[in-house]
Amino acid sequence: MEFRSSSGHTMGVELELQIMNARDYNLARDAADLIGLLERSGHPGAIKPEITESMVELNSSIHATHATLLAELENLRDAVARAAERLNLRIAGGGSHPFHEWSERRIYPTERFKHLLELYGYLAKQFTIFGQHVHLGCPDGDSAVYLTHALARYVPHFIALSASSPFQQGADTAYCSSRLNTVSAFPLSGCMPFVHSWGEFLGYFEKMRGYGIVESMKDFYWDVRPKPEYGTVEIRVFDTPLTVGRAAALAAYAQALARRLLAERPHPPSREVYMLYGYNRFQACRYGLEAVIVDAYRGCPVSLREDILETLEVLAPHAAELGSGAVLEGIAAGVSAGESDAAWLRRVHRERGSLNDVARLQSERWMGRLDAGPEAAAERSRAG
Amino acid sequence: MTSLLPQYPFSPNPVLLFGLLLLLGLAGGELVRRVLRLPRIVGYVLIGMALGASGAKLLDARLLEDSWVFVEIALGLVLFELGRRLDLAWLARERWLLATGLAESALSFGFVYYALTWFGVSPLHAAVAAAIGVSTSPAVVMLVAQELNAEGQVTERAFALTAMNGVAALVLVTMLLAWIHHEYRAGWTVVVLHPVYLLGGSLLLGYCAFWLALALSRWLGKSAQGQFALVLALILAAMGLARMLELQVLIALLAFGVFARNLDERHDLMAVDVSRIGQVFFVVLFVVSGARLELAELAAGGALAAAYILARFAGKSLGVMAFTYFSGARAGAAGLLCLALTPMSGLALAMVQGTASLYPEFGAKLAAIVLSAVLILEIAGPLAVQFALRRAGEAAQ
Repeated sequence: MEFRSSSGHTMGVELELQIMNARDYNLARDAADLIGLLERSGHPGAIKPEITESMVELNSSIHATHATLLAELENLRDAVARAAERLNLRIAGGGSHPFHEWSERRIYPTERFKHLLELYGYLAKQFTIFGQHVHLGCPDGDSAVYLTHALARYVPHFIALSASSPFQQGADTAYCSSRLNTVSAFPLSGCMPFVHSWGEFLGYFEKMRGYGIVESMKDFYWDVRPKPEYGTVEIRVFDTPLTVGRAAALAAYAQALARRLLAERPHPPSREVYMLYGYNRFQACRYGLEAVIVDAYRGCPVSLREDILETLEVLAPHAAELGSGAVLEGIAAGVSAGESDAAWLRRVHRERGSLNDVARLQSERWMGRLDAGPEAAAERSRAG
Repeated sequence: MTSLLPQYPFSPNPVLLFGLLLLLGLAGGELVRRVLRLPRIVGYVLIGMALGASGAKLLDARLLEDSWVFVEIALGLVLFELGRRLDLAWLARERWLLATGLAESALSFGFVYYALTWFGVSPLHAAVAAAIGVSTSPAVVMLVAQELNAEGQVTERAFALTAMNGVAALVLVTMLLAWIHHEYRAGWTVVVLHPVYLLGGSLLLGYCAFWLALALSRWLGKSAQGQFALVLALILAAMGLARMLELQVLIALLAFGVFARNLDERHDLMAVDVSRIGQVFFVVLFVVSGARLELAELAAGGALAAAYILARFAGKSLGVMAFTYFSGARAGAAGLLCLALTPMSGLALAMVQGTASLYPEFGAKLAAIVLSAVLILEIAGPLAVQFALRRAGEAAQ
């Protein structure tokens, strides 16, 4: 397994999206028809199937800047939204559907997905949760191993900044990101073992393959994992945000962070980080920006919100180099104001009193339809 | 004291009738599902036929009359639910779907009309029979889809097209009343005003029900239970008022559903599923439909029924095959939709009944033409829908 070298500081995004019906905004199961229609209407490969028929995955190409990434994501979003409307479907972001029942989900009929159902039973259907994966280009395998370890400290940031799954199965979970609890149930979830080089990593991988535990890197559901065939490190803890704008901004944050970590190597990989990893991850899932995490390097509790704001400051010169200075400032402003997708969803629920309305507005927001129609004015005045 | 005890012969009452019909229907449905692996509806209809005119004649004209109110409630629930499946915004966006609905309605009307006149049926009878044939049985599509837990594009589009052709059939039949009145030498005022009163009045009633639903749902808030009771109450009240005012119950309820889906701009109404409670009424609906059909008529009108069914299927299929692919559906969906649109059932019976109540003689002739076809499609229709939804891969695994 060779690590394909990527030119530095590139990024790519995968977004898992929800397909809803237009009646009660429960999950629909039209992934195959939606993909088929996009193939026909000149956007082949824009979206791919995911484990259940209620999900699709949208993939960007490789980008060096936030601006081009955002442009492509918006373009793809418009194509998917148009196709969905022809089938009277709605597409939404958000890490979880607020009220679908997992037992009603159906597995997308490919060999791999059928095998996963066979293997994981109900977990396969419960895996109808929606994440954003960000790929960060790495020059070689050793840097990928370093970056994977270095990013572990920032996993709570990614969780809190993207958290958008407060509701599951018709109830408020009290978490900002409930989605990651579902991921944790899988036996091969968690973190990459504490290896120090690509060679050492290969040794571990071959051993696991030798035991018959995995066949490929795909079988590891780690929060952050090297992806040798792409030449990237993949961050998988983001909930899919409610808009592609937010998705692109989060990718830009990860890009600037990776640039700094690879260029400055500020910290050596640390076992301490992994000792505190589970606790910090839980804090971020549960409380979002309000979480208090323990910084392994400083050895003391810190407010997650403050930690993110400090990091954004440190990253400013790198973001400027990458052309995403303004984007990171936007993130900082949102963090200072305590805004998050999870908070937006909870507010909609409070105001509307029904999770169907939450799902509906979630889809209107993702499809860019919230700026039209009678509810737009109210939303705008609130946002303003 | 003896007068306080029941006297023989006992006189049955509608509640007992409802209970028994439900019980027998359920048993028939379950038997058919277990033994023949067919949709339960087929069992309901077969039980009805066994009890009714074609069988043991236990359900005579008087009992059928007593049970008609349950049929009407069932149809009211079905049509309200159907109206809510008519998403005008979707049709405005996806004009090919609108074209499909218009084409299959128009072509099935035209084809049946010409087939019947070719067989020597008078133009007026042919026109009314053809108008009734435009509609697909919403109850059959709904029940089979529910039984299979079907979900997907073929199911959704079958509902959308059924809603469109239901509207087309009801409007056509009502407008054709003018011709029937004219034929029976009614005065010009009746010829013109009656259809206008029926259409306009029923639409207005549907709108009033919607308006009340909206106002009260804002007051109730987003409580699924409260809104469920509210919608049910308004459906029943609208049905009763339509009867009282001699309006078209079916149009009023369909309109109520369409308004609820399309005019509720602030989304105050929740998408409560009244068809679930409708289940018990649907069973009775199909048992009674079965009881009204006469196998003897099939022997007499068999050729005509075959022509009716084939012409209707050809018209619907041509319309569906021509446009469905352009409306974004996958290849192969069109053929399955043609099958899914075949059922005829209670709605057709109700439309025959509606004209018969005005002009019994006309109604009798009309029934002879339409009911044999309904008889065949009561059995074949559910099978066609079941096959279509299963083949489409939209039934639950």
